[in-house]
Amino acid sequence: MADNNQSDVMKEETPILEVSNLYVNRSNSSVIEHADFTIHRGDYVGIVGPNGGGKTTLILALLNILPRTKGTIRLFGQNIESFSDWEKVAYVPQHAVNFDPNFPLAVRELVSLGRVNRGNMGRTLKRNDWKAVDEALDFMGISDIAKKRIGQLSGGQKQRVFVAKALVRNPEIIFLDEPVVGVDASTQEKFYKKLSDLNVERGITILIVTHDLTAVFCRMSKVMCINKWVNVAEITETLEPEEVLRKAYGEHFHFVFHGHECRRVFEDE
Amino acid sequence: MNAGGFSKMNELVEIFRLLEFQFFQHALLGGTIAALACAWVGLFLILRKEAMIGDGIAHTAFGGIALGMFLGVNPILTSLVVSVLAVLGISYMRRKGLAQSDSAIAVMLAVGFSAGLIIISLAGGFNVELFSFLFGSILTIDQTDLVIVSILGISTTLMLGIFYKELLSITFDEEDARLMGIPVRPLSLAFNLLVAITIVLSIKVVGVILVVALLVLPGLSALQLNLSFKGTTLAAIGIGILSMTTGVLLSAIYNVATSGVIVFTAAAIFLFTAIYRRLE
Repeated sequence: MADNNQSDVMKEETPILEVSNLYVNRSNSSVIEHADFTIHRGDYVGIVGPNGGGKTTLILALLNILPRTKGTIRLFGQNIESFSDWEKVAYVPQHAVNFDPNFPLAVRELVSLGRVNRGNMGRTLKRNDWKAVDEALDFMGISDIAKKRIGQLSGGQKQRVFVAKALVRNPEIIFLDEPVVGVDASTQEKFYKKLSDLNVERGITILIVTHDLTAVFCRMSKVMCINKWVNVAEITETLEPEEVLRKAYGEHFHFVFHGHECRRVFEDE
Repeated sequence: MNAGGFSKMNELVEIFRLLEFQFFQHALLGGTIAALACAWVGLFLILRKEAMIGDGIAHTAFGGIALGMFLGVNPILTSLVVSVLAVLGISYMRRKGLAQSDSAIAVMLAVGFSAGLIIISLAGGFNVELFSFLFGSILTIDQTDLVIVSILGISTTLMLGIFYKELLSITFDEEDARLMGIPVRPLSLAFNLLVAITIVLSIKVVGVILVVALLVLPGLSALQLNLSFKGTTLAAIGIGILSMTTGVLLSAIYNVATSGVIVFTAAAIFLFTAIYRRLE
């Protein structure tokens, strides 16, 4: 119990991501306004909200890819401007799976690109890099397609390959932007299960943009609702999903949530 | 053995006899270096969807050739300077939002080529040497040309070898490469400078007009084979060198324009690989 208290204190002291009073504009219109939130190590956060609500914009701002109008972002306790440990951060963008299918890359080659960074510029990848690549392939259960061309992969395989590419960096935090679009329900479930394993077994903090609300409330520890403003809520037994979501999606929104869906997800495992 | 058989034997003997001549050795060596650099650089150009920058720089280099001939300096060196300036000019116009990539290339192509025309008219018109730069003259590669081509070719392949994985990363996903701290803009500029160097070293081989074929065809053929990136790179280089040597030998046997036969051989290989892909 004492250990738990200590870890709770640690959790409070060392947020992995701190955002305060963040405003982001795109094409001269305000997309994110007055965002204040904190993400702790080991959080598994589902980012939800209507289309055009600013989910992707927020992620791009958090990664310092998009400039912000005002506010501060601290990653691993450092100001985003001076942050340099990008190896700790992985990002699987929305467009990742929409690559040119004729691009001549084998799965293992693509995953190895995750090891390319400023630190090893101009040097060939070493044996330990390739070992990390093979481990990531193994963890994602795609070792058997290592030599396959990426243009020949199914939707589900593409997702796993890109998460393996993100994993091969040994990141401490992963951002995923709608990775399950266009994939069947069963493959989606397996994918979320794999992410849960990453979160639990490796302690990797995960922020994932998704429209799969059941997955969010069954598997994740926090829900981040975005519709210009940002609201982060801890997912607990007492949290009323509909109440949280209506703020983002509007009063006409009806969330049909069946408790047994969660049970089914966990029973399968 | 019939007369045709004798004729083929004679052709083979002729090839072996040619290989003893220094000019032919220079041609094969210079051609191989150019083919290697062109195929490797060209594959990246195709994947970056920037093949036309090759054509643009090649035509701009024509201005440099004319300048070299006018000033009495080795035209390969002056075309190198002009091509590098063209790359910097295209990059500047894109960065400052003055023109999109294709428009910037078109502007540089037009300025370089017209500058060449003006210089030529000032110098008193076209001559045979100028034609050799326009359409290539691989059999006239001398010792100095070979040294320049070797230095440029080895520098280019070394640079590509060293920054191979970074260039691949930028080519596949520029945003991700940027996130990983890879200096995308300087490396892209450096790559375009390599394109300029590769074009200049190939001018003597196939000429400014056909150099784009040497850049694009080997890579395109290799892409039809559905290989990994490493496999595609090696295949492109192999196809480039095969087109070059086959083209030089065939042109020697049938006594026709070497650059035309080299490009035609590369195009024939592309056709075969495209058919192979269809049948696969």
